[in-house]
This record gives sequence, structure tokens and C-alpha cells, in this order.
Amino acid sequence: MSLASFLEWLSNTQFSIFMRESTWGEPIVESVHVLTLTLFLGFAVMLDMRLLGVVLKRRRMSEVLAQFNPWLFGGFAVMIVSGALLFSADPVSFYNTHPPFFKIKMIMLVLAGLNVLIFNATIGRKVAQWDLNPKTPGAAKAAAVVSIVLWVLIIAAGRAIAYVLPPP
Amino acid sequence: MVRSLLLSFCQWCNNSWWGHGIRHSTWLFPFVEIFHLLGLGILGGTVLILNLRLMRLAFKSESTAELAGEVRPWMLGSLAVMLVSGFLLFSTEAVKMYGNWAFQFKMLFLLLAVIYTFTIHRKVTLADDGRFGRVVRVFVAIVSLLLWSGVGLGGRALGYVTTSVSSVSELLR
Repeated sequence: MSLASFLEWLSNTQFSIFMRESTWGEPIVESVHVLTLTLFLGFAVMLDMRLLGVVLKRRRMSEVLAQFNPWLFGGFAVMIVSGALLFSADPVSFYNTHPPFFKIKMIMLVLAGLNVLIFNATIGRKVAQWDLNPKTPGAAKAAAVVSIVLWVLIIAAGRAIAYVLPPP
Repeated sequence: MVRSLLLSFCQWCNNSWWGHGIRHSTWLFPFVEIFHLLGLGILGGTVLILNLRLMRLAFKSESTAELAGEVRPWMLGSLAVMLVSGFLLFSTEAVKMYGNWAFQFKMLFLLLAVIYTFTIHRKVTLADDGRFGRVVRVFVAIVSLLLWSGVGLGGRALGYVTTSVSSVSELLR
């Protein structure tokens, strides 16, 4: 099945029709999406600031990671689910926005995911070596900067989608 | 008296050069709105971090006062970004906002949340850990979360509430 026919199929599912036609479905899901963003971004930025050595410097990096991660992953999961629900309301329009803000957002999301994977596979694995060092390694700083830039772009692109999506 | 003062303030914002400029530009409104959204992200997250610590639900290895010392500057900084960007967005349709119940709701909660953040919440988060009992701390955290949620929900509702009144004369009637 091609992507186009998958999107077509998705937009004809009962669920997609419900999301499109119910009065409250979309506002509620959208509010959940935006309010969870609030939670997620604040945690992400604080973690990135620790990686940059700006805040919580005296705390062990491993401890900060252990404390932030459940909230970050939880928030991320809620955003993915609510985002997928919003997408399913009108998949064809989302995919084809012009300018392609949706595609830009998806690419940035993948890059943000890769950033986390790379961090965990490299400098994050060696966290024991710099756990208490107030001067964090360059690679950790780089991961933090990449994360902040990507999330700013993801949020900007996400907001932009709503401007270019055709009205229901 | 207060009503007419508020209304003339709204008119003044509406007619200001920035209100006019943002309203008549294609990209300025989205641009400012993105700052508002980024500020929201950081404000919401830091408020939650502090309140979770206050309730002893997370970040327990650090004392509340220590954590507050590090997190509060970010909270207040993002609040400043939100107030400035919010004011700019408001100025593009200030007169419409005057009669919008969601906006009035949001401003009421914002006022309460800001006062609360600079008084009771500040005092309790910056106090030594033994100073206030568990119940007080949980209560203080919940009130803070409720007040900020009120601001957020009001803001979200703004997008869905459209006022039918568009002219000042209609409002004054």
C-alpha cells in the first residue's frame, strides 16, 4: 500500500470521521497536546541546561537524568498519542500542507530522537566519568544545543501547521 | 469607572503602533506567538518541577530552596517573555478581547497566579525544608498548579471563543 492510499484509508476510518465531525473531540485532544508540551518543554530545557552546566551543577548528572527521564518520556508519549489523534482527523491535509510544515516537523522529530539515541550511545554512556564535573564535556553541550534548537523548530513548525491547514 | 478605564486602555493598545503593525503584518503575529508558546513551555515545566518538589513527588535529592534558587530565574524569565509577547498579541485585537469571557477569565487567573507566585509560593519554596509541614506544602503546590492551569485553560479557550461584538459603540451600549 502506498503512503497516499494509506492516508486516504486512514481518513475514511470511523475514528478519523469522528475526530473531524465531533465538536469536542479535536479541541480536547488539541488542548491535551498543547498543555503536555508545556510540561515536556520545561523539563527538556532544564535537562539541557544541566547538560550545558548552567543549572543544577552540583547534582550528579546521572541523578538528574534518572529524575527527569520518566517525566520526559511520559510527556513525550502523551504528545505522540495526542499528535497522532490530531493527525488522523485529516491525514491528507496534514501531509500536504504548503509550505510543508508538517514534513519539516516530522523530520525534526526524527532528528531529535536520533540526538537522544546518539547521546545515550556515546557521552551519556560514559556519564560516570563526568557525573559531578561542573564543566560538562563538549559532546554533552552539543547534544543540549541540538536538542534546544530542534525543539524550538518543532514547536514553531507545529504552530505553523495550524495556520496553513485548510479550515474544516 | 474601572470599566471605562479598562476599555480606554484596550482602545489605546488597539490603536498603538505595535498593535497596528502586528495586525497588518502577515508573519509578525505567528512570530510573536511562537515566543509566547516557547515561554509557555518553559514556564509550565518549571512551575511543575517546583511544585512536584514541594509535594515531594520528584527531585527529592535537592532541597526545595536549592532547587527553587536554580529554577525560579527560568520561571520568572519565561514569565517575562510570556507577558511581553502576550501583551503584543493582545494589542492586535485589544477591543475584541475586552468583551471576551475567556480572556477575562485568563487575566483574572493570571493576576492571581502572579501575585501568588511572588508572595506565598515564593515564601514556601524558598524556606528551609523543615519550616512548613507536609500538608501546607502540598496545599501550596496544588493552589499554584490550579491557578496556572486556569491561565492555560483560559488561553486555550480564547482560540475557540469568538466575540460577536466588534465595535466599541456596541460594547458601550
